[in-house]
Amino acid sequence: MDQLPNLGRELEMLSEIGMSSMDELFADIPEDIRRNDPLPLPPPQSEEQILADAQHLLGANIHLDSRPSFISAGLARNFVPTMVPMLATRGEFLTSYTPYQPEVSQGMLQAMWEFQTMVSELVALPVANVSMYDASTAAAEAITCAVRVRSKRSSQPNTVYVSEFVPPHRMSVIENYTQGVEIDIKILPHRDDGTLDLEAAKAANDSCAVYVEQPNAFGSMDEGLLSLRSIIGEKTALIVGVDVVSLGLMEAPGNWGADIVVGEGQPFGIGPTAGGPIYGIFACTKDYLRLMPGRIVGQSLDADGKIAYTLTLSTREQHIRRHRATSNICSNETLIALMGAMHMSLLGPEGLERLALRVTAATQTALEAVASVEGVELIYPESPVFREFAVRLPCSSRGALERMDSMGVMGGFDLSQWWGSMHDCLLIGCDERTTEEDIEILSSALASSISEVSS
Amino acid sequence: MSTVFDFNGAPGSGWSQPEPIREDPGKNIPDSMRRNALPRWPRASEPELVRHYTLLSQRNFGIDTGFYPLGSCTMKHNPRINERIVQMPGIDRIHPLQPDSQVQGLLAIYYEMQDMLSICAGMDSVTLQPVAGAQGEFTAIRCIQEYHNSNGENNRNKVIVPDSAHGTNPASAAMCGYEIVEIPSGSDGRIDLQALRAAVDGDTAAMMITNPSTLGVFEPEIAEAARIVHEAGGQMYYDGANFNAILGKTDPGRMGFDAVHYNLHKTFSQPHGGGGPGSGPIGVKSHLAKYLPSPIAARRARTEDDPRGVGDGFWYFWEDPESSIGKVQQWNGNAGAVVRAWAFYRRYGRDLERMSEHAVLNANYLRHRIMRGHGDSAIPTMPKDGAPSEVVKHEFTLDMTPIKDATGVTAKDVAKRLLDYGYMAPTLYFPQIVPECLMLEPTETESKDVLDKFADDFLSILSEDPEILKNAPHTTPVRRVDEVLAARQLILRHPCE
Repeated sequence: MDQLPNLGRELEMLSEIGMSSMDELFADIPEDIRRNDPLPLPPPQSEEQILADAQHLLGANIHLDSRPSFISAGLARNFVPTMVPMLATRGEFLTSYTPYQPEVSQGMLQAMWEFQTMVSELVALPVANVSMYDASTAAAEAITCAVRVRSKRSSQPNTVYVSEFVPPHRMSVIENYTQGVEIDIKILPHRDDGTLDLEAAKAANDSCAVYVEQPNAFGSMDEGLLSLRSIIGEKTALIVGVDVVSLGLMEAPGNWGADIVVGEGQPFGIGPTAGGPIYGIFACTKDYLRLMPGRIVGQSLDADGKIAYTLTLSTREQHIRRHRATSNICSNETLIALMGAMHMSLLGPEGLERLALRVTAATQTALEAVASVEGVELIYPESPVFREFAVRLPCSSRGALERMDSMGVMGGFDLSQWWGSMHDCLLIGCDERTTEEDIEILSSALASSISEVSS
Repeated sequence: MSTVFDFNGAPGSGWSQPEPIREDPGKNIPDSMRRNALPRWPRASEPELVRHYTLLSQRNFGIDTGFYPLGSCTMKHNPRINERIVQMPGIDRIHPLQPDSQVQGLLAIYYEMQDMLSICAGMDSVTLQPVAGAQGEFTAIRCIQEYHNSNGENNRNKVIVPDSAHGTNPASAAMCGYEIVEIPSGSDGRIDLQALRAAVDGDTAAMMITNPSTLGVFEPEIAEAARIVHEAGGQMYYDGANFNAILGKTDPGRMGFDAVHYNLHKTFSQPHGGGGPGSGPIGVKSHLAKYLPSPIAARRARTEDDPRGVGDGFWYFWEDPESSIGKVQQWNGNAGAVVRAWAFYRRYGRDLERMSEHAVLNANYLRHRIMRGHGDSAIPTMPKDGAPSEVVKHEFTLDMTPIKDATGVTAKDVAKRLLDYGYMAPTLYFPQIVPECLMLEPTETESKDVLDKFADDFLSILSEDPEILKNAPHTTPVRRVDEVLAARQLILRHPCE
C-alpha cells in the first residue's frame, strides 16, 4: 500500500472531476457483474515482512551452488560476472519499455545493436534479432519462418524434418507452434552410435527445413552434421540449435551451411533462474530477414546527421501487420539479452574460448570418472561430448538419483522423464564451475548408490 | 557515442577466469569440427565496460527517470525489494528440473500465485508458464482449440476480434491456424452487438476482446456479447492488458469469459526491461483446465513421510493436467517474473482493489486536468476526447485532429515535443479507430503533482510555435531519428573491422 502517492488526497482529486466518492468512478460497471465483497486475500504486508517471507520460502529450496550439482539439460549452472546484474538493473534500463521513441532510448537500442553483432559473430550469420523467449520458442519460430520462406518453392511444401534427439520438452513447444499452421513434422532418425542417419536424411532433400542440434539432447557432437548441407540440397533451410558456449571451440554453424541458428542464451548473462527469464538467440542469413520473428535494431541518422539507432523492419510485426505478422511476439527478453551482451563483452574472444575449454575439460573428466564406475556404461561411447553425456546404470536411474540426493549430491537428470524407456539412464551435466573434487564425490556417490539400489 | 567494439585491448587481457581443470581437454573433438577463427567480440576491461554501459544507461529513459504515460503498457513503479528477492540463490540458482523435494518454496510461491490470479479474475485454474502476454493469448487459444477438437467441433475455424484490439490478438489466433474475422467498433468505441451477431456462427471458435477497451472505456454490454458468442458455441477470451483497471471491482469470470491472460509485467510490476522479460499467465474456467500446459503447481496435506516442506502443512508438487497441450515454454515459465509479481501482490494483498481505484482516479484526474483547456480561456488547438464517456478506467485517448487541421502539427510531433519536457511519449496512433490518437495511462504510482505538471506542460505545448513541434525533440541525446533510412540501409550490426 505504500506504493500509492495519492493516498489521502482522493477527495481533493475527485472534486476536480466533480465527484465525491471512488464508487462514482466505477459506476459504469453494470451491477450484475460487479464484485461487492472484498477479494479473499491476506492483508497487505510491509517490505520487511515480504523479505522475511521470501527468505523463508526461497531459503527452503536447495540451490545448485549448495552441493555438487550435475544437472544441466539445456541450462548452465554458470558464473555471472558481478558487473552484469549491477549494471543491467540500473533503473534507466530496468524500467524502460520497448524503445518506440528512439530519441530517448539510444542506450538500450545501441546495446541491442551491439548484442546483435556479438550473436552474429558467434554463429557466423549476418543477421540476429534482439532475442526470443528461450531456445525452444526460437527453434519453433525458426521452423515456421523457414516454412514461410521456402514452402512455395519446395517439392515438399509445409514439411520439416527434425532430429529425433531434440529434447522432448522442446519438441512439445515445436508441436504447439506448428500444428495450427499445418506444418508436417517428420522425424530424422539417428544410428545406434548416436550419429544422425545421413542416409535417411536424404529424404529431407528439397523439403522446407531440417532442424538438428549440436550438441544434441545427450550432449553428443556429430561430425556428420558438417556434411548435412550437401545432403539436403541448397534450397532446404538448415536450422541448427547450439550450446552457445560450445562455439568458443566448435566451428560456427554459419560456416558449415546453416541458414538459421538458434540456442539458449542463458549461459551468457543470467543464472538458471528456475527456467526463466532466460533468452533464445535467433540469427539467420539475409534470405530470411524479412520474414523472421522478433525485434531488430538498425543504425540510422538523426535530424542533425548524427548516428542513431532505432527499431527497424517493424512492418513484419504484429502491431502493424496484425494477423499477417511473422510472429505474435511483442514482449521479448531484452533485459536478459542486455545481460548477455555485458557478459559476452567481458569475456571477449579469448575469454569465450577459455570458458568453452573449462566446460569441455570438466565434461571429459567427469565422463572418464563416471565411465570407470563399475556397472556404468556410456550410451554413446564414440561421441565427442560437450557439457553433458548419457550413461546407462545397472539399476533404476531414479533410485540412484534419490540415493545420491540423500548423500547431498545432485547426480544428474533422470532420462526416463524424457523417454520412458530410458528408466536406467542418466544425463550428467557439467559446467565451468565443476571441480575435480565435485567429480570425485559424484563418482563415489554413484558407485555406492548403484550397489545400494542393486542389492 | 563510441561502441563496445571500439575497445580493442590485448588478446586475453580482459576479465579473468580460472584455468580449465585439465590441460588440452578438447582432444576428443575432431579437428574438422574445431573453430577456425574466434568471434570478433570486443576486448575490454571491467572499468571500460562499466563506464560504457553506465553511459548507455544515461541515454535511456525509464520510469525511474520520468513520467511514462504509455497507454496500454501500465508503466508503474517497480519496487526494488523485488529485484533483491530474485537475486537470492533460492531462485537464481535453481534448475527447473530439480525434484519437487528441493523446490518446495518455489512451488509454494507458484501455488499461491495461481490461487491469487484465479481469485482476481474469477477463473478456476491458472498456469504461470506463458512468458509474455502474446504467448498467453496463444496458449489460451490452443487450449480452446483442443477443447473444440475434443468435442468433435474442429470445423470451428474462426476467431472474432474487434478492430480496436491489440495486434497480438489476431496474430496469436492466426498462429493457431484460425481465420480472423474483424468486426468494427461502434463510433463510441464500444462493441457493435449487431455486427457481432452477424459475425458469429457455427464456425466461431472464440472471440478475443479486452475490457476496459483500448479506449479505456468499460464495455457495459460485455455480458450480452458473451451470451451471443456462447449461444453459438464459441468461447470468450479476455485480453488482460487492461486488467489494472478492475481488480476487486469486477472480473472476467463475472463478465462471462472462459479464458484470460494476465500481464505480470503490467498489472503486477515485473519491470519491462526495455521490451521484456514479461510473464503472461493464463486463467481458465474448469471446462478448459485439463488442456493447460504442463506442469502446474499442486499441493496436498503433508504426511510424516514427506521430507521437509515450507512449514505450512502442505506438500507441493508439479502436476500435468489430464489432456495438456504440452509445453509453450521449455520450462515452467519466467519464474523470476512470477517471484517479483508475488512480492508485489503481497504488498497489497486484499487491498489490490485500492491499486485499481488509484489507477482509475489518476486517469480520470489527468483527463479532466487536460480537458480543462476547453474551459474559459479555450485553447484553439485543444484535442478532442477519443471517447466521449462520463468516466474512463485506467487510460484515455485524445484525438489530436484540431491541432493538425489548424497548424499541420501531428500527434507524433506533440509526442516528440513531450520528450523535451522530460516525459515519455504516450502511445501513438493506437487504437486506430481514433484519428491522430494519443493514448495516456498514468498508473496509480504517479502523484497528483506530477499529473498537474504534465497537464500544464501538455497544454502549453499546444500553443507553442508549430515549427518547434515539427522539429522536436530538441534536447534529447539524439534528435528525431530517420526510421525510413534505417529500413533502407539495414545496418543491423557493427562491421567488426
